[in-house]
Amino acid sequence: MPKPKYKDAGFAFAYILPSFLLILVFSIIPIIMDVGLSFTSYNMITSPEWTGLDNYKRLFTDPYIGASIKNTVIFTFVTVPVQTLLALVFAAVIADKFRSHFGEAVKSAMFIPVIASMVLIGNLWTIILEPHGIVNNFLGLFGISPVNWLGSKHLSLFSVCIISIWKNVGYFLVIFYAGIMDIPAELYDAADVDGAGTMQKFLHITVPALSSVTYLVVTLGTIWSFQVFDLVYTLTGGGPGLSTQTLVLTIYNTAFRSYEMGYASTIALLMFVFVLVISILQKKFLAKED
Amino acid sequence: MRTHKKYTPQYWAALVLVLIAALVSVVPFVYMVLVSFTQMEILSFNFDFSEFSLVNYSTVFRNLDFMTNLKNSVIVTVITCILNCIIPSMAAYAFAKKQFPGKSKFFMVYLATLMIPSQVTLIPMFFIVRALGLMNTYTAMILPLINAFGVFLIKQFLDSFPDELLEAGRIDGCGENRMFVTIVVPLMKSVLVSLVIFTFITSWNNFLWPLVIASKPNVQTLTVALATLKSNYSTNYGLVMAGSTLAFLPPFIIYIFLQRQFVEGIALSGIKG
Repeated sequence: MPKPKYKDAGFAFAYILPSFLLILVFSIIPIIMDVGLSFTSYNMITSPEWTGLDNYKRLFTDPYIGASIKNTVIFTFVTVPVQTLLALVFAAVIADKFRSHFGEAVKSAMFIPVIASMVLIGNLWTIILEPHGIVNNFLGLFGISPVNWLGSKHLSLFSVCIISIWKNVGYFLVIFYAGIMDIPAELYDAADVDGAGTMQKFLHITVPALSSVTYLVVTLGTIWSFQVFDLVYTLTGGGPGLSTQTLVLTIYNTAFRSYEMGYASTIALLMFVFVLVISILQKKFLAKED
Repeated sequence: MRTHKKYTPQYWAALVLVLIAALVSVVPFVYMVLVSFTQMEILSFNFDFSEFSLVNYSTVFRNLDFMTNLKNSVIVTVITCILNCIIPSMAAYAFAKKQFPGKSKFFMVYLATLMIPSQVTLIPMFFIVRALGLMNTYTAMILPLINAFGVFLIKQFLDSFPDELLEAGRIDGCGENRMFVTIVVPLMKSVLVSLVIFTFITSWNNFLWPLVIASKPNVQTLTVALATLKSNYSTNYGLVMAGSTLAFLPPFIIYIFLQRQFVEGIALSGIKG
């Protein structure tokens, strides 16, 4: 006897309901509210006032937005290539030379920064990078005079980049390592027969085989660049000047320090557009790969 | 077969390279712990081990609200982990194994919400939580973390899982709910372990959301308190590092015991992008 197609529909809806309610309340409704708020001026004391496209126009002249976007672009172009390359090289070296307890220990050690919170990392590196902290002490051994890592307009963003790379390499290393483990061993054996060197095997087998993993790592790194908050909140507060200002920091300050809820929502939507474009490009690329 | 000699110059170069990487990753944490035992006003390499003391730790426990913050973090994280297993499992099971009208469109909506960064919805979520009267509550810190990610992850897992086992359960006259609990849930164990670890780290380290909606000291979590500690006692290095060390201990201890699952669990979040 054929079963009716939707026999279990009631059961299915009941099982989905709790999850759907949460997604509705904390994702779907908020994104719609974001759009509505973005056309208003709202300070939480008087009721929201319709201001049309004013908030959108303001985006173009706001120095905080300009600085945030500039910093995000620099941050992306510094952190993404460096952390991707480091993670890839270390994953390949460990997979090639240290498939042992020692290699596992190195991976575990490099993963420790990943499990710490960004707030903790910010606290820790503030102390490490103090003008009289250990990094400057160490450089002093080589006769290098103390560097103002976080307090100089020219270096602060660079320092934030270094710390971020330090924290994330272990994460991407694990992803690359898993990717390398999926590459068939026969490919390497065949190359060995042909007398290929380590470097040739890396460039001609490992790197091409990891192209979709690399794309994932690059996309993730780029999306994370747009989400930087905890680290600059604890390390620099966005300064000195606007040198480490980020989009999320601007959203936070605009909403919860200046109480300009409407404008802050507009900035949030701008951020959403950036992240969405990157996600869609990734999906397109991966679809092409398959 | 690798026929190369193992201890080539290349091998030694690689060894030095990975040792440096491991050291660079670990040394800052060792430094954190060392500084936490000192009352240095000037930071240096030169630790006087004879002057090490637990003063900073007793200050953290006695004068600050550390125990309250710890309790808040534990409660929020544990409940989030439990709920993030139950609620997404149910939805994922329905999506993977049941037929209902509009299923694929419905699931598309779930996938779409994965692309919304939590910072984008911060402001409206703040208004919603306020309107629901949930400001400064555990509930407000917990619920937004129960999102579509768990559903997506578990559904992927269940899709690769044969329907025949479920049919066998049905023949035995098992009710739908009982079948879910006694047959489906045990089979999801491995994916749930990964999800719990991922959720644990996300919740324990969560900062922006609790900062915005749970500012009262009696509900403040450890991660938010750490940021406060740093801004209030910026020059008391030992104290800030003692607080940081204590906040790091729970995730670190669990990491030591569940390393493999930890790495898998966190690497899974890569799918989320």
